[in-house]
Amino acid sequence: MLSLFILLPFFCLIAVNLPVKGARRLAFWLTASLFVLQILAVLLHPSVFWGMKEDLFANFFAINFSVNNLSLVIFLTIGIVGLVSLIIGKYTLANRPDRFHFTNLLLTALIGMNALALLTDLFSMYVFIEVTALSSFILIAVQREKTALEGAFKYLIISTIASALMLSSVALILLVSGSTSFDVVSAALKASSGSVFVKLAVALFLCGPFIKSGLVPFHGWLPDAYSAAPSAVSVLLAGIITKVSGVYVLMKLVMSVFGFTPVIRDILMFAGALSIVFGALAAIGQKDFKRMLAYSSISQVGYIIIGLGCGTKLAIAGAALHFFNHAVFKSLLFTNAAVMEQKLGTVDMDKMGGLTSRMPFTGMTSLIAFLSTAGIPPLSGFWSKLLIVVALWTSGMHGYAAIALLASVLTLAYFLSMQRRVFFGKLRPGLEAVQEAGTGLVITQVALALVILGVGLGFPFMLKTLAPLKNILW
Amino acid sequence: MSTQFLLITAVAAPLIAVLFIPLIGKFSKQARNVLSLIAAVVPFIACAILAFAVLKGDSPEPVLFFGLALKADMLAVFMGLVSSFLSSLIILYSFDYISHYRDQNEYYFMVVLFLGAMMGLVFSSNLILLYVFWEITAITSWRLIGFFRDREYVLKADKAFLVTAFGALAMLIGFIMIYQTTGSFDLAAIKENLKTSPIANLAVLLILAGIFSKSATLPFHTWLPDAGVAPSPVTALLHAAILVKIGVYVFARLFLATFNMEQFWHTVVPVIAFLSAIISAGAAFIETDLKRLIAFSTISQIGFIFFGLAIGNEMAVVGGLLYILMHGIAKAGLFLCAGIIEQNTKIRDITKLGGLIKTMPVTAIAFLLCSFSVMGIPPFGGFFSKYLVFSGAIKSGHLFITAAFLVAAFMTILYLFRVFNMVFLGEARSPQVKEASPTMVFTVASLGVLSLISGILVWYPYKFVQDAVWQMMGMVK
Repeated sequence: MLSLFILLPFFCLIAVNLPVKGARRLAFWLTASLFVLQILAVLLHPSVFWGMKEDLFANFFAINFSVNNLSLVIFLTIGIVGLVSLIIGKYTLANRPDRFHFTNLLLTALIGMNALALLTDLFSMYVFIEVTALSSFILIAVQREKTALEGAFKYLIISTIASALMLSSVALILLVSGSTSFDVVSAALKASSGSVFVKLAVALFLCGPFIKSGLVPFHGWLPDAYSAAPSAVSVLLAGIITKVSGVYVLMKLVMSVFGFTPVIRDILMFAGALSIVFGALAAIGQKDFKRMLAYSSISQVGYIIIGLGCGTKLAIAGAALHFFNHAVFKSLLFTNAAVMEQKLGTVDMDKMGGLTSRMPFTGMTSLIAFLSTAGIPPLSGFWSKLLIVVALWTSGMHGYAAIALLASVLTLAYFLSMQRRVFFGKLRPGLEAVQEAGTGLVITQVALALVILGVGLGFPFMLKTLAPLKNILW
Repeated sequence: MSTQFLLITAVAAPLIAVLFIPLIGKFSKQARNVLSLIAAVVPFIACAILAFAVLKGDSPEPVLFFGLALKADMLAVFMGLVSSFLSSLIILYSFDYISHYRDQNEYYFMVVLFLGAMMGLVFSSNLILLYVFWEITAITSWRLIGFFRDREYVLKADKAFLVTAFGALAMLIGFIMIYQTTGSFDLAAIKENLKTSPIANLAVLLILAGIFSKSATLPFHTWLPDAGVAPSPVTALLHAAILVKIGVYVFARLFLATFNMEQFWHTVVPVIAFLSAIISAGAAFIETDLKRLIAFSTISQIGFIFFGLAIGNEMAVVGGLLYILMHGIAKAGLFLCAGIIEQNTKIRDITKLGGLIKTMPVTAIAFLLCSFSVMGIPPFGGFFSKYLVFSGAIKSGHLFITAAFLVAAFMTILYLFRVFNMVFLGEARSPQVKEASPTMVFTVASLGVLSLISGILVWYPYKFVQDAVWQMMGMVK
């Protein structure tokens, strides 16, 4: 019953909006349990559930679902990041109706993303990309602030261009193949691979996920959207929304529809390397905590894309792992940002300093997250970057491997600068009264830090036991 | 007790203790201090017992998990002994030194974590495991250099982190190149695979970048003098005795014990080492900040170690390894003396110091003894290591470079006498200064005495190191 991934959030969405007393109050717990269920479904991997072939919903709408190991990683990531975002929302969104809208939109986005992980049909994918995107536009502006509206508007416009390109590509592909399901399209593309028409269609469709995942040079909207949105939404955007509707769609299409043609691989690796370097360089110059994280996201997405572009089994595993790792450590960093925003009322790093002494948990967890981002062992980010770099090097892409590895120095540079300005240093006068975040946020931070540490320390173990990872590699 | 268990204890004891240090520190400072000391003494004892086992020809090789293995051969045990011994002394010294600063829990956490990573690095028999521990030492060194949290201190800590991380990443590419040719990250497998052919020059270059950045050798040396802003025991621990020796150790482990490099590297590395030694000796001449001066001296002395190891014949390598021990003892002593001077007088500029021998006689004598060892005056320990390196080099016919290194050695004598003269002799500038606390004085005094004893009883470490070199180079006893 794979369709439960779509149906449960859908029913949940209806349930919390029923005109019944108390339904609204249940929204948080209902949604939270949904995320927990999703995490458990992947981690415990009950064969009763995953083995059930008959799917009434899918049969009714005549669509095909398929789940592979990559989608398991995606489900897990969605579960974790969604839960974190929900908790941050509960503690940082001051306004009760805003909080309720936030939960509703989160559920809508969840439907969209889970569907994307399951679907094997170009047109339905397009539909659910739109579902996810629309809910995220509103999420960014959920508090109706001016900068947030501006960020949302920018995202909306650029995203619409992406949609238009994808839709026209679907139309072109439909002309060639007569269907939009993956198998048929893939076969048809192979049969007429020489035609300009097909090349145009592929190029058009690829532009969509490129824009959605904010790869350089299509990244213009991303820093504005991430930094203007409330932190709870930034977590969601950086961790999963742009990743699933951009990066994951790209991975899925390249792997199972368009195939690894030399041109596609070159484009992916080039775009990936460009994003890695550009994002890191731009992050060095930022003084807004969240903008820095946004540029860092661009840079880290570059790693996933360069791994995908390499195309070997090891590289894809590295890319999938980095997808997960990035979601975790970036969520942690945005949670730190949420704490800053809540306790200091600003995310301007020049107004902070020496905060570790006031907020030890926030300081230490941000340290773990940043070291992981920079790929410093023994944290999780090291292993995924290592897999990607080893794969690049052994398949002869020495230049790209060197860029990917040495860009870690840039990552380290901007995060060290962040640590110096925000946490590690003498306490800035005027900040003596700052308090550590509330228990809920502290627990979230510590839990995420433990995930990073756990994945890092137990990585070799996980490679051989955890279902999704194991199956990708072996 | 099986040797495998001992080996795991040596690595795991500090790493496990680290988890409890911040917790216990919340309740009792005393208990935390004792725990930190135990965390350093246990590996030392374990290594000491292991030393007898490996002398008998045992080489324990416990597989930790997932095929990542540790391995104790004589080289590793020697290095483990030196590091855990010096760490124990330095932690003992820290008790009083650090007792009136903030963030003490973090201090002990980082120092013990560093020791654990060091032990792990020394005993790892897998390049990835080695790299993991290598970077953990970088993290701890970053936190410790910026310990006092002033903006310019943190900037210097960031610099050290960035320089060493850059080198480490270059080294990682080198490791991946080796992986590509041999199909394994395991040192034994690599050795088996590369028995006949030397490894690619690019890989050597990249790995050397990592080694030189960690061991603060030209052109990656600038972070080390800057790192003098750390608390003095840290400077002694990280930047004189142990951390900078990581690079030297990995050089011996990879290029001497595991695979060969092309012949011309045996000339190139000594030349780089020489430039590093002579330039930093010159810098030590004009430097007036006491800790920076000793740091420059460290860079200079590490040049001698690389010289010995890169020459590559038995005598020079024995000298180079013995140098690690002798220099570790003496330089740790110098830094700890500098720490006492700095803390008691609040002055680091040697032009403003003077006549301290009257008020701090024990510290002065300890400083002098350690200086003699670094200078290489017989019968101090430093003499024998320097002698072995030089005579090994002459044996291989490197006359010019040996003569050049003699100049550097002569400069060492000059600048250390200059320091001693300016700081301890002459007119007393600050007569009210007293000797430091008994534990601190005891530590520096024992390091000073050890510098002398290690020279008089040089036969024992010499024999051990010689056996290690035989084992390493696969010679028959």
